[in-house]
Amino acid sequence: MATNAPHEGESREPIVAHHFNNIRQQHASVRFGMWIFLVTEVLFFGGVLCAYAATRIWYPKEFEAGSTALNPFIASINTFLLLTSSFTITLAIRAAYKGQHTGLRLWLASTIVLGTVFLGFKAREYYGDYEEGLIPGPLKTQVDDVDTNGKPILREVSVFAVNLKHVLEHKGGKAKEISDKMTWNERDRTQIFFVFYYGMTGLHVLHMIVGIGLLIWQLLLAQLGFFKPTERFIYIEVMSLYWHFVDLVWIFLFPLLYMAGKHSMDGIF
Amino acid sequence: MSDHVQKPIVFEQDHAEPASVATSTLTFLFLAGLSCLAMMIGFTDLGAVKVWISLGIACVQGIILTVFFMDLRHADKLTWLTAMAAVFWTFLLFLFTLTDYLTRHYYAF
Repeated sequence: MATNAPHEGESREPIVAHHFNNIRQQHASVRFGMWIFLVTEVLFFGGVLCAYAATRIWYPKEFEAGSTALNPFIASINTFLLLTSSFTITLAIRAAYKGQHTGLRLWLASTIVLGTVFLGFKAREYYGDYEEGLIPGPLKTQVDDVDTNGKPILREVSVFAVNLKHVLEHKGGKAKEISDKMTWNERDRTQIFFVFYYGMTGLHVLHMIVGIGLLIWQLLLAQLGFFKPTERFIYIEVMSLYWHFVDLVWIFLFPLLYMAGKHSMDGIF
Repeated sequence: MSDHVQKPIVFEQDHAEPASVATSTLTFLFLAGLSCLAMMIGFTDLGAVKVWISLGIACVQGIILTVFFMDLRHADKLTWLTAMAAVFWTFLLFLFTLTDYLTRHYYAF
């Protein structure tokens, strides 16, 4: 019996949509649409970075202390993971363009794996911060201190401030020097750095999760033969624009959040 | 009778093959090298200039990433205009916000 079902590797959808004159016009429009979306994303992250800049200029000591308390080694590994994933996705575009379907699936899967490993390291880093008590919050405690006349008093400070002091002292070296020079009020105020840290990296993680979801969808489409007409490489290319943008955001977050403090290479290994 | 001639649609003529494996590899190696440099600077105590050097490296990385990985070098004029608009509006965002917030202490509020 005759059927109008597509053959294996075919799609019901025409390659050129009815509202375009030709494939190049469609490609240009698809690219332009993603670039317009990325402009809104640039301004979205731009607003957060602008707030970060103003606050850091106001409270340089607190931002230096907060950054010093972070783990720069995991962030360094994550930088290379994201850069490598940007490389693998460009190889996926080329594979789709050349009609190399096995290569396309391989490079898409590699990008997904690298992105997922990034998120795994990020989760480990968040867990480490949680274990160290570096979470801003309203909880208060009392510590021994002295007043302006040198008389011993009990001072009410945030639990966060106490935890920050312990973390910096435990790190030793330059971190301990920074902690020793801080007042309890400054340790309290370091919470604002961590609000930016969790907010900015959290937004980045959210974008990564969306990106990985879209990559999985494209991998499934590749498995179903959607990309057999090589003109459809454009969908991989447009997805790559988003993925590169997520990488670009991390390139700026890395020095602003992790390298704003004083770190030493001691204790890496 | 009108002698109107249909003008060619310019952006449809802009077409380039995706970057070659060699170009992508070189771009990746260059970006990775710059990241190594950013880390070395991050672990060095350079004082107040550290943030400016780090941001300078990040800007160079951003330009390489957009021009080569995001293929802006082969993009049509409309895409260039869009990318430059993002940079320009971000510049305005920083300019107007910081000129307000960072000059408030000059007045007796």
